[in-house]
This record gives sequence, C-alpha cells and structure tokens, in this order.
Amino acid sequence: MARPRTLLRVAALVAAAAVTLAACGTGAGSASGATLRWGFALPTSWDPVTSSTGNDINTISLVYASLTQLDEKATAVPGLAESWTYNGDGTAVTFTLRPNLTFTDGTPLDADAVKQSLLRGKTQQNSLLKDQLATIKDITVAGDRDVTLQLAAPDYQVPNLLAGKTGAIVSPAAFTKDAAAIPTAPVGAGPFRFESFVPESKAVLVKNPGYWDAADVKIDRLELTPTTDAATVVAAVQSGALDVSYIPGNQIPQAKAAGLEVDVIDSLQVNQVDVHSGLAPLTDRRVVDALKYAVDRRQIVDVVNAGVGDVAYQPFPKGYVAYDPTLDGLFAYDPAKARQLLTDAGYAPGQLALTITVNSVSQSTAELVQQQLQGVGVNATIKVVPPGSSTWQQEVYLGRKAQFALDGTVGRESPVQNLTVVYGEQGLMNTSKVSTPEFLAALDAVRRTPLDSPDYPTVLQTAVRTGVQMSPSFSLGTLPRVAVRNKKVSPLPHFLSQYRWEGVTVGSTS
Amino acid sequence: MLRPLFASRSGTISAVVLVVVAVLAAVGPWLAPHDPLLQDPRAILAGPSAGHWLGTDNVGRDVLSRLLAGSTLSLVAALEAVAVGLVLGVVPALLSVRLGRVFEWFSLRLMEAFVTLPFLVFAVAMTALLGNGLQQAMLAVGILISPGFYRVTRAAALPVATAQYVEAAVLAGASPWTVLHRHVWPKVVPAVAVATASLLGASLVIVSSLTFLGIGITPPTPTWGGMLATDLQYLFQRPFGPFVPAALIVATVWACNGIADALRDAPGRPAPRKVTAHVG
Repeated sequence: MARPRTLLRVAALVAAAAVTLAACGTGAGSASGATLRWGFALPTSWDPVTSSTGNDINTISLVYASLTQLDEKATAVPGLAESWTYNGDGTAVTFTLRPNLTFTDGTPLDADAVKQSLLRGKTQQNSLLKDQLATIKDITVAGDRDVTLQLAAPDYQVPNLLAGKTGAIVSPAAFTKDAAAIPTAPVGAGPFRFESFVPESKAVLVKNPGYWDAADVKIDRLELTPTTDAATVVAAVQSGALDVSYIPGNQIPQAKAAGLEVDVIDSLQVNQVDVHSGLAPLTDRRVVDALKYAVDRRQIVDVVNAGVGDVAYQPFPKGYVAYDPTLDGLFAYDPAKARQLLTDAGYAPGQLALTITVNSVSQSTAELVQQQLQGVGVNATIKVVPPGSSTWQQEVYLGRKAQFALDGTVGRESPVQNLTVVYGEQGLMNTSKVSTPEFLAALDAVRRTPLDSPDYPTVLQTAVRTGVQMSPSFSLGTLPRVAVRNKKVSPLPHFLSQYRWEGVTVGSTS
Repeated sequence: MLRPLFASRSGTISAVVLVVVAVLAAVGPWLAPHDPLLQDPRAILAGPSAGHWLGTDNVGRDVLSRLLAGSTLSLVAALEAVAVGLVLGVVPALLSVRLGRVFEWFSLRLMEAFVTLPFLVFAVAMTALLGNGLQQAMLAVGILISPGFYRVTRAAALPVATAQYVEAAVLAGASPWTVLHRHVWPKVVPAVAVATASLLGASLVIVSSLTFLGIGITPPTPTWGGMLATDLQYLFQRPFGPFVPAALIVATVWACNGIADALRDAPGRPAPRKVTAHVG
C-alpha cells in the first residue's frame, strides 16, 4: 500500500514543478503570468497590407508596431520612430528609429526594413494601402536609423497617416520568404508575438519582450476570440470565459447588475447617412436638406444606444482637433422646416418615396428613421443588406445603388484621410462622388499646415466645415466604445482611436 | 372527415389550439389594440400595463399588436410553403407511379437531390437570387419539403397502382384519370393529410428560423421569428419578452404534430408514416 502512495506523492511533486516551470516560462517579461481573454473581432487579415476594414487596427496593432502612434486625443506621437523632422517645404520627412529594434523573428528592425515594408504596401498587387501611400514618392535610408520619405507634394499629415495600419511595419524576412503566409501568421514588432491562429475561432498572442515599450505591457498572454452574439457577451464575461469584451450601450445596466466593470471610451466612430445626390429625388438639394432636418438624432442616440454617445453634425467627436463647434446644431431636428422644404420642392405629404438601406445590425435605427421621415410626409421603405464582407460594398460603396444608407466611419489616423473617405471625390462613403473645388482646396491647405502650427486647428476645422456644408450626407451621432470587463482587469486606457493595452493589468483569477 | 381528430384527447386539444391560432391569424389585425408599426420612443421596453398588455418593444411598439399582426404573416408563410411542397411533391409522386421508369428515375433522383440541400443555406441563396421576400423564401422552403410529400404519396400510391382490382379496372377500359380519381386518390389522401399537418409544423419552424435571421421580411413587418430575435437582444430589460412569440411557435407546431398523430392513428385507417423535414 505504501508504494502507490509514494508514487502519488512523487507524481504530485513533478506536476507542481512542471506547473511552476510553465508559469515561469509564460511570465517572460512579467512576474504575474497574466492571461487576458478578449472578446472582439478577428481581423479580416493579419497583414496590414491586405486588411480590409478600419476596425482591424484594434487587433493588428497587437502584433505590429507602427512608425508613430496616436495618443489619447489622437495626436501623433513617437512609436518605432523616436522623432521625425520635415524639410523646409514639407515635401520630405525623416523618421529616426529607436535604437536596437527587432522583429519577433529576431531580425533587425532598421531603416532598410522600414523602407521595404512601406514599399510593399505601395507595390504589392493586392495591397489595400496603395491610396494612402500614394503621397510617398520615394524612400531613402541613411544609416540604420534614419528613413526619409520623399513626398509627391507638401503633406504634414504623414506622421498621423503612419500611426495605424499604413505605418505598421512587417518583417521583410517574413514577407520575402512567404508573403502569402502573413495574413494568417504575422511577424511584426508589436506588444505581442503571434503564437497561433484558428480562423473564425481564436488567436493566441504572447508578450513580446523586444517591443520598444514592453515595460508598459503587463499582459503575458492575450487570447482573442470573436464575439458573434451581443446578447451573450455579459454572460461570457461574468462566467470568466472572457475577461474583456464590448457591448452595446443598452446593455450597460445588465453588465453593472452582473457586477462587471464598464468603460465608456470616446472614439472617432461617428454614424452617418450616406446620401447619393445623383439618384432622384435626391438630385434636388431642397429634398436633401429636408431629410437632414427630418432626422431626430437625439432620439436615435437615446433609443438605439441608450443615450450613450452624442448627437453629431460632423464626422468627428468633441474633443478631437478637427471638431468644429460652429457646426453644432446645423440641420438640427426641425420637422416643420423639413415639410416646408419638401413643399417648396413640389412634394405634397406622401408623394415622396425613398429607400433606406441598412445592414442587418442597424435595423432599429432604420425603423426609427423610417417613422421620423413618415412624420414629414416621406414614405420610406427599408432595405436590409444581408451580412457579408462584400455585400455592403456591392450595394453601397461600389454599386452606389443606395439613395439613403445608414453607415458610419470608424475614423482614420489622419483627419485628412477621414475627410477624404467621407467627402472626397473618390471617397468610399461619398456615394455621390462629388466634391467642390473649395473643399479640395481646404483639404490641401490642411496637408500644407504643420501639425504643430498654431493655425493647424483653424485650417483643419475650416476644411471640416466646408465638407459638411457641401455634402449631401450627414452625421447622426458618435458611438463610444463600451467595454465590459471582469473586475480582475484594470480600467482600460481611453484612446480615441483604438483599444490599447499598455498599462492594463490582469489580477489573479482566484 | 374531421371525426378522427376528436377521437383522442391530444387530437382534440391540438385542433382547438390550431383553430385559436387560425382565428388570431384571420382577425388578429382587427383585434390589435394599437397600430403594430407605431413607435413610441418615450416608452421603449416597457413592461405590461393597462395600455400595453404585453408591454412595448425596443422602439416602443405595442408587443400584443405586433404578435397579432405577426400571426397572419407567419401562418400564411407556412401555408404557402406547404402548398408549394404539396404541388411539387404529390404530383410527381403520382406521375412516377403511372409514367414509367424514366420519369420515375428522374423524379427520384431530383427528390434525393432536394433532400441533400441544407434548408437555411438554400433559402438564403434563393432570396439572394430572387430578392429578399417572403414569397421567395417560401418557394425555397416548399421545394425542400416536397420530398416529404413525394415519398409519402408514392409509398401510398405504389401498392394501389399494382393492385389486382386496379389492373382489372384498366383492362375494363377505365381511363387513367378514373383510376387515379376512384382508386388511387382515396388511398393517398389520408397519408397526404398526415404529411400536410406534420410538414405545416415543420414549415412554421423554418419560417420562424428564417424571419429570426431577417431573411424573407422587410422591417418593420412583424413576424413571430423576427420578434423573437429582437426580444433576445433585450433579455435583461424584458426577460419575459421572448416567451410569448416562442410559446406561440411551440404551441402551433405542437398542434400541427398532434393533428398529424391523430390523423395517423385514426381508427379504420391504414397507418401512414408521419413525415418529418430535416431542418439544417
């Protein structure tokens, strides 16, 4: 009888030693061995060059570091580059890298690697970064740490532009060996090293001790899983299946009642209506303006998102440098004025018919807008675009079949980039594809103004004002990120542009 | 004709439930206390009250009125699917017995092919191809339940077609229509009736599943499945919300199955198989 008991003790000791060793192993760079389970969305591609949605920056930035990054107010600050300087006329910018940077595959992250990575974004056949990188005419390197971007025209937005996917640096050794592998096996120099990925299921990342800001990363292992049903998120966090996830505003009371912590984080995301002024009856500006007055933005924020967020009259949130306070209340809800404009345009109540195009998750907004339009005599029918990554593109962005599409911008690293997407002549969300020379000139003026110039906010806000007044499209409301977290996770930092994990700690599960 | 339904307690209860649901579907829109589409954004997700017996939904619409309006659409959609399945299943089944081996082989292979198609995927593909409407979705559902009717009808018709008294009738000069009408059809009808009741329940489940996913309907049109999907998003605010549309779906499907059982077990009738549709 004594022998099996001894064996059992030995086995227990071995198991305990193994667990201890394993904990030491995973705790590289941190004493806690902290694992964070994040319920979010897996990126459309782990390759920044082929990633197809703006939302991917939240996950792609886990494994890649960019030349610059955005601070809490979305202002460009040093990232891989510790500094940058422009030449006299703004046509060239030199980034100086931090010393001794390496990728997670062990290869050096030097000026030449930055050049190769950016050139791949410019030239790879299926690159979705070509438009953003078009402003870069040539790239030269000097030594290991200085890389100079020659620009096609003066453009002081480049440090902003390179703070996200566009400036995410991929290991040249990895993409030279097998570029097709990057979308599922990324190699970067971000806060985490990629460990494994099961499409549609899970990605596992471990802390990268070689990250330039590794001291601020307190998470040793991050498990990323997609959340498909918002109704189950609170239960998943409560049960411990997830540590952090996101919820719609109307689930905040439920999360708090479950004893969970909630962080409402202002974001660059703004919902808007894409109005196609090339499709009748929206060719008449009076009709377009009537629709702007007919929509009760406050009601939408209150009903759909339980009051989380603000009404918006421009594609930027309050507190951001591009936000122009003079636009507050422009086209504010005024059904009487809407009816008058429709009468002036020759439409008696009930005569005007319109189709509201919406994706499957924004039906409540569409139903509210439908009734609001009905209140001013517009008969609207709702067309739901089925889920799928390409269906919305085909219907709204590329097909341009939608008269009145409920859409939204997640924001961009550069406000000029965002204005171009929303109001630019070829902007994805500008379904009318019309821009005035005044707007394009205002946008150019922003590019020519240094970010640290005292005139920059005024010049930028002028461009925003010009775009808002020009465009048939109009903004509805801001959409803050609502993160729900287990109490063992410390509060999330409030960055306008994206989720960031620097400084976030995960306590013991016991 | 209806006597077999009342031969058992479950058959009687099922018939009563189905009649109640049918009456609701027929006159529900007139009984509705409010406009089922009228929103009151100041009273969203309200609990039951004198003004709103079942409360209000996420945009302040009266839930009872939407349920009543949704009954019509949900039931009519299920009936449409069954009608399509009946025509596409019963007719080829009878013809396969009469028209010889080539038609028989092709019709059998076609039905086998239909059986392999997953319901939801096929319905989604049909609505993508023909437009997102309930008629299109029900055409898809009807096609996919037709093998159920085909098999039952063929199984019932085959022994009759080769029976001696039928051969005698043919030899005596009876026309194919007479044979079908006088000898085959009476034997087939009970089996088809059982299949119809059973597949009506299955169709209702499929209709509810499709409308739950937003396929086949245009918002804000109310359906039981669509209401269930919306209510599930607001479980915390209205925990009882999904119960009523779910209970209506369950009760109606249960009643359809109960009637199918009662017809199948009717005294003095041969025992046709109960048919189930593969929902996948």
